Amino acid sequence: MITVEELVVRYGSATALDGVDLEVGAGEMVALVGPNGAGKSTLVDTLSGVVRPASGRVSTEGRFAHVPEGRQLFGDLSVEDNLRLGAWKVRDRDPRHVYGVLPDLEGLRGRRAGALSGGQQQMVAVGRALMARPDVLAVDELSLGLAPKIVDDLVRHLVRLNREEGMAVLLIEQNARLAFEVCSRAYVLEAGRVVTAGACDELARGSAVARAYLGGGVAP
Amino acid sequence: MRSAGVWAVLAVAAATLALPLVLDSGGLAVYVQVAVSASVVVGISLLMGYAGQVSLGQAVFFATGGYTAALVSQAGLPTLAGLLAAPVVAALCALVLGLPLLRLRGHHLAFATIAVHLIFLAVVAQTDALGGSTGLQGIPLLSLGPVEVSTNQGYAYVAWAVLAVVVVVARNIVRSRPGRALRALATSETAAASSGIPVGRYKLTVFAVSAAFAGAAGGVFAFYIGFLSPGMFPVSMSITYVVMAVVGGLGSVWGAVAGTALVTVLVHYLGVLGTLGGMPDYAPSVLTYAVYGLVLVLTVLFLPHGVLPSLADWWRRRSGAREGRDRAGEEEREAAPA
Amino acid sequence: MIALLAHIVSGLAIGCGFALVGSGLVAVYRVTGVVNFAQGMFAVVGGLCASAFLGAGIWHGAAELLAVAVAAAVGAVTGLLALGRPGTAPMTALIVTLAVGFLAYAVLVAVFGDTPRSTPGLPGMTSLLGVPVRRHHLLVIGVTAVVFLALWLFLTRTYLGKALTACASNPYAARVTGIPVARMAQFAFVLAGVLGGVAGVLVAPLRPMSFDSDVTLIVHGFAAAVLGGLTRPMVALAGGVLLGVVEALVAGYGNAAYQTTVALVVMLAVMIWHAARRPSLHQEVTV
Repeated sequence: MITVEELVVRYGSATALDGVDLEVGAGEMVALVGPNGAGKSTLVDTLSGVVRPASGRVSTEGRFAHVPEGRQLFGDLSVEDNLRLGAWKVRDRDPRHVYGVLPDLEGLRGRRAGALSGGQQQMVAVGRALMARPDVLAVDELSLGLAPKIVDDLVRHLVRLNREEGMAVLLIEQNARLAFEVCSRAYVLEAGRVVTAGACDELARGSAVARAYLGGGVAP
Repeated sequence: MRSAGVWAVLAVAAATLALPLVLDSGGLAVYVQVAVSASVVVGISLLMGYAGQVSLGQAVFFATGGYTAALVSQAGLPTLAGLLAAPVVAALCALVLGLPLLRLRGHHLAFATIAVHLIFLAVVAQTDALGGSTGLQGIPLLSLGPVEVSTNQGYAYVAWAVLAVVVVVARNIVRSRPGRALRALATSETAAASSGIPVGRYKLTVFAVSAAFAGAAGGVFAFYIGFLSPGMFPVSMSITYVVMAVVGGLGSVWGAVAGTALVTVLVHYLGVLGTLGGMPDYAPSVLTYAVYGLVLVLTVLFLPHGVLPSLADWWRRRSGAREGRDRAGEEEREAAPA
Repeated sequence: MIALLAHIVSGLAIGCGFALVGSGLVAVYRVTGVVNFAQGMFAVVGGLCASAFLGAGIWHGAAELLAVAVAAAVGAVTGLLALGRPGTAPMTALIVTLAVGFLAYAVLVAVFGDTPRSTPGLPGMTSLLGVPVRRHHLLVIGVTAVVFLALWLFLTRTYLGKALTACASNPYAARVTGIPVARMAQFAFVLAGVLGGVAGVLVAPLRPMSFDSDVTLIVHGFAAAVLGGLTRPMVALAGGVLLGVVEALVAGYGNAAYQTTVALVVMLAVMIWHAARRPSLHQEVTV
């Protein structure tokens, strides 16, 4: 669903991504982890077409949607308007199917998006991306600044969509423990390069990744 | 190869001195106009390229200088005192205006300076001491000691001498430590402020210096033309100065002079073309506006660093890694905004 | 008392023109961050075209609509030039719109000459609460009210209008969501052309218009719009109307030569006060 080959992205003279290869297959749930500033968000921005590659190739199959880091809602508009704008590229602008997945949103539909709590905003951001009826969804830093219970809830919804509707997911996380729990495969990005990739359980057993991202003694 | 630069400067200086002797009267008028306008444009180029500020009201300081020179001379004081007072009064006005106005940035400052321009015109038109809307007549000729400057050739030398002073002052500012700090200011005011540069004071200083340049030019203009009225300083005049600065390359001192010369000469000779037989009577103004518009659009879209810095760049690339490049050219390029 | 009301009505009418020009500035600024210096010129194009079309014998109504359409087309061309290159900085785009203004001067003088033109508006007088007022003044106020109502409904009730607001609210999110921000910006310029054109058509019978009338119009429009931080069309309406009334009162009871000056001083005071209060709101704009 997502194919990235030899991707190089530069901001002026700084190189943000340096020859990255990555693939997400149909129905897969893949994690992309790495420290702050590794280039994770740049990679998704390139998939969205917001950032242009200096060289290499990115392609997405089917409909692609993106939950950007930091929610990035349209703060002046209502929750329902935020959702409906997510459907710009598809004909059907009825948010009912999203209310089916995230029922809490229906109660918030008239509220101004900028006035919501962080967890509620993240839910709107996910909902807005789901409005595009994506075949593959990239979620950038879902857990950032949210209480664990709220994160668990949102992740459960994503996993359900993945299992039941076959929506492929690319989960970009600083919190590798969370990502490894729900994903089958993972890529580790550091300073613009993929340093390791493989099945999550193997990576979690590998001492280097475990020490760097999972914080010492983690049971696989 | 530093001497190559020195020779180039000497050649330019010799040509500058020789030109008034060979130009016809029309050409001489353009020659004076280039020097007068270039003095204003060098100031704008510093202001926009170094302090990151836009002034769409620079003609106000030009007019202030003109009126100051006229009033001082008409009060019976030596005309030279009038010429010297012109930049001082203009700079003082800029300090007073700049204190509140320079809190504004970008578009807000641009419109604030237009507003100041319109207010200035309205106030002058209502002030009898300044001749009201009919203007000040009978400004005496400029006297330098016993010598009265009465010919257009004489004014050409005065105007270019003033421009020479302006260029020297501007180059010194650019090369000074505050000048280098100012470059940082144009790029990012926040970054400059956080590195301890007194942003506000530097901006105000550049604003005042650019006003002094304009005031000096206005003083020369007053003696040269002999009368002043508010109708001579429309808002579009301020905007044409910005056009010249952008065309020449913001932040480039020589670029400002080159941009002014290019635009002025183009406008003048196309204007002459417009007065030829068979052309409708509105042709000159149509051609003038078209030149300003086209030159500006083409520069901004295709030579965003301005004509002279782009030319210098091209020359350097052509001559490759040859040693001993023209130092002046190098600095011009560095001065252009990235 | 009657004189006061008459001044207020005529001030309201001219203020409506300022408000329309100001809302055109807002339309472009909120989506693109560009202050469109050619906005006053859109109004001049509207006014001069209306006078030419009427002179050519086209009916009232049709002539004005056609003039607004021409202004909209000019808006589209301005947008193409100002935003033509991706990554053009707002201040560069401002300079491009200055250049467009000069080019427009050349075209306008070539087509319409350089003498001011006026159009016959709605003729005659009528009585409002016992006060005699020009019927054209009431027409201007009425049309402006309808235009702003339509603008408000468009921005708050339609999908396209909300997408425009979304681009203004968070351009990055708009791009991520797949809203074509560049096309929306282009659309904003067309909208600005329409608003400017309507202003010109309405104002031409009140004040004779020549190619360089754009300076006063744009400055007043900016003054009206800056009250709302250049992003709120309804505040631009209030600001424009306020400026118009203040100017009419200054002209009526004080010195007509200072009517514009008073409005400009108010604008400067508001801007400086804004900047002193919320310095962070004035984003950095480099050339």
